[in-house]
Amino acid sequence: MAKAFGAFPELRHPFEPTPIHPAGHTTVLYQGRTIQLSATGPGDGLLIRPEDLASVNGFVLKPEGACFQDLCFPLKDNWLIERGGKTWFDLTTFANTVGQHFIADEASRVWSFAELPAKQDNMLVNGMAPDFEIVDRTGNVIRTADYRGKKALIVTWSSW
Amino acid sequence: MPVWQRVYEEINDPNFVLICVAEDTGGEAVAGPIFDAAKPTYIQIVDVDHLISSVFNFVNVPSAAWIDEEGRIVRIDEGTYSKVHQFGEGDTAFLFGNDVYTPALKDWVAKGRESVHVQNRQSVTGNIRKHGVNEQKADAAFRLGNLFRAHGEGEKAEHYWELARTLHPESINYFRQNLTLTEEGSGGQSFMKKRMEYMEQGKEYYRPLDIAKT
Repeated sequence: MAKAFGAFPELRHPFEPTPIHPAGHTTVLYQGRTIQLSATGPGDGLLIRPEDLASVNGFVLKPEGACFQDLCFPLKDNWLIERGGKTWFDLTTFANTVGQHFIADEASRVWSFAELPAKQDNMLVNGMAPDFEIVDRTGNVIRTADYRGKKALIVTWSSW
Repeated sequence: MPVWQRVYEEINDPNFVLICVAEDTGGEAVAGPIFDAAKPTYIQIVDVDHLISSVFNFVNVPSAAWIDEEGRIVRIDEGTYSKVHQFGEGDTAFLFGNDVYTPALKDWVAKGRESVHVQNRQSVTGNIRKHGVNEQKADAAFRLGNLFRAHGEGEKAEHYWELARTLHPESINYFRQNLTLTEEGSGGQSFMKKRMEYMEQGKEYYRPLDIAKT
């Protein structure tokens, strides 16, 4: 029988089991990036080292709050917490406060975050192209901002 | 893809960039040869995680956005075909695509904001789909599924892919992407049934193009 159109069952699960990260590490998925954290705090939720915040979502802690470029959220008391003698940034509480949704597989220590609503407003309200960063087939990093000054058509397709 | 290469060559404007994004969990193995056959000179991306659809709130392929020199979206989320195609044969065959999109695109590249095909901010923002909690969680779940797949954890991959489809039933992308990785394929009975249900519910499989034929 001829193979059906757009049928690649052999590609469903072609990969051998490999560790997602070294034992004791945690993985965060955000904006198409995979970020590995070597240290996280104990207990529920995702507690990260404050210095790891920028590598996870670009935010930096400043006197005025947690800031990404011009976007600042005033610090809440429950974002920075003490546990095990260390200070942690509670990333899941931060996400809940700013309306960022996520799906977690805590057993495997993986958190997958959707985009922050505040970052989407520039598109949804102002009609501006969203920021993205993705690698093309030649290994170049393609960013929305790279095409300022040119007209761009971004078109999705698929083999199916 | 060869048609887009031809369009790109016809436009031949150094201030125009064409970025073609394959939304394909099958990755290079399936999308790569199709790209290569087109001998493309435009930017090619194989987007295993469907990131680009996620950032523009697209739910189907092909979909597109026109972005002007200031980073402003001036058209978005239409069935972006560069010509008319036929799917299937006999009684179940149907035509899809159009022959007005490419001329409109060329008009915009030539005339910029003077083109009649440029939409204002209100039209553009009205055409961007509004994704709520479930759709955003679906995107996060889909990527989680892909991560587990990449590490050989098929059971968890299936769990999160199914979660994505359940949370975001409007996503033709998640529905058909799943079918491509089955024996049935993306154009079989399940696809035909879903497409029929979609249309019977009065939903637009693609938004009708708001482009007059000239």
